[in-house]
Amino acid sequence: MDLNFTPEEQAFRADIRQWVAEHLPQDISHKVHHALRLNKDDLQRWARILGKQGWHGWAWPKQFGGPGWNAVQRHLFEEECALAGAPRVVPFGPVMVAPVIMAFGSREQQERHLPGIMSGDVWWSQGYSEPGSGSDLASVKTRAEKRGDKYIVNGQKTWTTLGQYGDWIFCLVRTDTSVKPQAGISFLLVDMKSPGVTVRPIIMLDGEHEVNEVFFDNVEVPAENLVGEENKGWTYAKYLLAHERTNIADVNRAKRELERLKRIAKAEGVFHDARFRDQIALLEVDIVALEMMVLRVLSAESSGKQSLDVAGLLKIRGSEIQQRYTELMMLAAGPFSTPFIHEAMEAGWQGDQVGAAHCAPLASHYFNYRKTTIYGGSNEVQRNIVAQTVLG
Amino acid sequence: MDFDFTDDQNSLRDAVRRYVDKDYGFEQRRAIVKAGGFSRDAWNALAGLGLTALAVPEAHGGLGFGPVEAMVVMEELGRGLVMEPYAQGGLVAPAVLAQAGGDVQGEWLPRIAGGEALVVLAHQERQARYRLDVCDTLATDTHRLTGMKSVVPAGDAADAFIVPARAGAADAGIGLYLVAKDAAGVALRGYALHDGSRAAELTLQDTPATLLVGADRGLAVLEHAVDIAIAAQAAEAVGAMDRFVALTAEYLNTRKQFGVPIASFQALRHRMADIKMQLELARSMSYYATLRLGDAAETRRRAVSQAKVQLGQSMRFVGQQCTQLHGGIGVTDEYVGSHYFKRLTVMEMQYGDSLHHLGEVSARMQDTAGVFA
Repeated sequence: MDLNFTPEEQAFRADIRQWVAEHLPQDISHKVHHALRLNKDDLQRWARILGKQGWHGWAWPKQFGGPGWNAVQRHLFEEECALAGAPRVVPFGPVMVAPVIMAFGSREQQERHLPGIMSGDVWWSQGYSEPGSGSDLASVKTRAEKRGDKYIVNGQKTWTTLGQYGDWIFCLVRTDTSVKPQAGISFLLVDMKSPGVTVRPIIMLDGEHEVNEVFFDNVEVPAENLVGEENKGWTYAKYLLAHERTNIADVNRAKRELERLKRIAKAEGVFHDARFRDQIALLEVDIVALEMMVLRVLSAESSGKQSLDVAGLLKIRGSEIQQRYTELMMLAAGPFSTPFIHEAMEAGWQGDQVGAAHCAPLASHYFNYRKTTIYGGSNEVQRNIVAQTVLG
Repeated sequence: MDFDFTDDQNSLRDAVRRYVDKDYGFEQRRAIVKAGGFSRDAWNALAGLGLTALAVPEAHGGLGFGPVEAMVVMEELGRGLVMEPYAQGGLVAPAVLAQAGGDVQGEWLPRIAGGEALVVLAHQERQARYRLDVCDTLATDTHRLTGMKSVVPAGDAADAFIVPARAGAADAGIGLYLVAKDAAGVALRGYALHDGSRAAELTLQDTPATLLVGADRGLAVLEHAVDIAIAAQAAEAVGAMDRFVALTAEYLNTRKQFGVPIASFQALRHRMADIKMQLELARSMSYYATLRLGDAAETRRRAVSQAKVQLGQSMRFVGQQCTQLHGGIGVTDEYVGSHYFKRLTVMEMQYGDSLHHLGEVSARMQDTAGVFA
């Protein structure tokens, strides 16, 4: 047993740190460090910078143009990016659909789609949830009917994060209604510029346009855009979910945000209030414990000597921690977190602040982060999964 | 970064587990509780396994193993609810004695390694709660001690005590002294703890003692000793919780109500998920405390306090909820589960509860955060 990274891993970390310091635009990291609004250009600029280096798909194997890093190296890369204030990479292309295309897609699909994902030029969206299919994802109703060399798609997807920017969307669609739900689902790639695709915004409780509804009205999709075999989509979807692993804990970002919480608490005069400070200390313990759990998983993955089935625990704990730091930041600012000034979340806004500038985004952030225990498999569904590992 | 155990460490684990399964079953344990809560035979058996030699330096007849081996042993002792104070006599005492002058080491360490001498730390005072720098026991220049120590582990079975005392006056530093059980002016009053283990009140009246560590660094060595104890207990708690959780899972899958196994009820399944969370967080922090034991004092103390905050919360939650999930049988003396609950409860109040250590974490907080902060 050894807590420390090897000298080689530490050298790797140092290289990444230097590269990020040299390449991450300061206007972007400023926004991240101050929880200001990130626009499409911010996200895509960073994606393209990573893409140019071959790191937008940082978890990809070499044969598909990735760096071929192991689990520890991937973790160190993620940590250095997070601590430096890089935006979280929009996962739908490089983290979600790309591994499915690599594992189950045709050579043509791989050659057509992977380069655009790696470069950051093509923006992907996720078409999983539907109005009637949340936790019960296998109940998706969006139909894809084969007609000649095309599928005709009809239906509706929802909660499509940043779908307003999407070029392509990967969808779970129903191709067979006569079998049990899981057996009639296919995995389809859809060009969002196709006639019949409509994206409508959903404005969330913080006033932000982050998610969308996507409607499909007789959308023609070439049959060559089917990934793998028809009616095997559920298998691919599960593969995708299994691919998220430790990333879902997001402990690196939690460390960065805990540092911000301490700065805010100091500025607002509550850091030396024992009752408040103890709450920060408790969160710090939670974050160290989560990080240790992540490191245990990485170690187990690297050596292959243990199987550590804690993905559900990482999702539950990681999301609870994210909510807790946004909550404590808001409480630190107290009444100064209550004004809702939509423009104050834009970098460089020159209007009149109420209280310190750092107060402006805190409540929005708090409200926004209620999503973390709901998405990606709600924490209640995660508890079902965890219980299964203990009780069978 | 590596959290795998070596083959040797796995063999050590297997050896301890075999002993516990064979010779420290629930009925054998019950007999030890009835006889007072400490068994010299059991202690000798641990010595026979080589465990009392584990942390003793090789130069003094020991094996010179490190914190990870200690953790492995403690997990297994915790799983079996072994009451003999191995953490104190097998891990803490050698660590303190290794800081002492040469003669004392040569006199005591080989006997500890061989299992002939049980030496325990006697530091708890009435007014101190969990503060190690609160000490009213006084030592004269000629090393004669007067004072009282409480809840000394296996106190009336021990052969000697490591006693912190103020050297000379109330505002002097704290030295560490060795007091033999049969020294003049030693009085012991033994009693049982709620978990079935044994403890004692130790009264010293002008008792001759041997100076182990002077007042210049006595407190630092005491803090290190207590950190070793906390890390060891964290591992013990993980072993105990792991077993209690397994027993609870078994019960939920066996017990039927409304015609079905109660493991089918989602309210209970979600509770079990929360229990599993607390167990794995505790295991993670047990590793963390153990792997930080060799670090500089500031880093080590912060890590150990962080671990004890987690362990305290986990022990209480797992103890209470595993008891709850058992229903009526869980609160009977007859069932082994209640003995896990009592052991976990007692452990939270040894070496600092969650609130105490949260205060320590709070006081030691830095601008950065995380495992490598």
